[in-house]
Amino acid sequence: MKSFEPLTDSVFYIMASLTEPRHGYAVMSLVEETTGGSFVIGPASLYTIIKKLLKEQLIVLHDESDSRRKVYMLTDVGRQTLEADIARRKVMIEMAEKGLERREVCDEEH
Amino acid sequence: MKNIKRVASWGLAFSEAADMNMLRRKALRGWHLKQFRFGVYELEQGESEDVIYSIDYRLLEPDEVDEYFEMFSFASWTHVCSDYNMHIFKAKKGTVPIYSDPESAQDKTNRLAAPVKKMMIYTVTTTVILWLVMTLTSGIIETISKWSFMFALILAFPATMTYLATLFHRYNRIKRG
Repeated sequence: MKSFEPLTDSVFYIMASLTEPRHGYAVMSLVEETTGGSFVIGPASLYTIIKKLLKEQLIVLHDESDSRRKVYMLTDVGRQTLEADIARRKVMIEMAEKGLERREVCDEEH
Repeated sequence: MKNIKRVASWGLAFSEAADMNMLRRKALRGWHLKQFRFGVYELEQGESEDVIYSIDYRLLEPDEVDEYFEMFSFASWTHVCSDYNMHIFKAKKGTVPIYSDPESAQDKTNRLAAPVKKMMIYTVTTTVILWLVMTLTSGIIETISKWSFMFALILAFPATMTYLATLFHRYNRIKRG
């Protein structure tokens, strides 16, 4: 994981969770709840990604008063990076959706 | 006095998965990992347990320890023991793996490889220098350097093999994409 662009799904979910201040395992549970358990992040992956995001200054330590539950949050650069990746993902989704719609229209005509 | 059994590791760079499977089989037969020191697993006898083991490599700063282990315990991984930068965890079968994405798992291999590479460079350089001294000198210096050379060679050989193993792992990961 040298560069963060494009973001991997795990990095994307973690950054999306850190639009508000959260500690590591709040991120884990939010992702698990939101995806109905279909996407889960392992603890070593979560720790590795948080450390990398800190190093790249995409997130900052927001509150370290509880050493077991350090709270992180996106930086401005982090928000921009996330927005850029949302745009990238939207292109993918729109292309697929339009393709499927066209197919449905064709099917109805015949 | 509790029953203790010691099992040597084959070298984690070579056989991490095999070692973790071995620990699982031992636990099923009632031998549980208690300590890992100098490449030796210390197992203690108890009840049979159906668990899986995982190892992570990370040199933790004092202020990182609490948060790191908290994340694992929240994800239902119990910390068993640590030796320097190696941390072994166990969990019920079916628990989400500690590394859930290939990119972070790749980082783990790189972290393992860094000190191994350093060790390889030191030992191989020393061996080569001693070999040169040994062949270019005579008398007492030759004798001393000859013995030192053999000692260095004994260290350099496994260090090089271990480094090659980490390269092999990286190559495999790249190939798998």
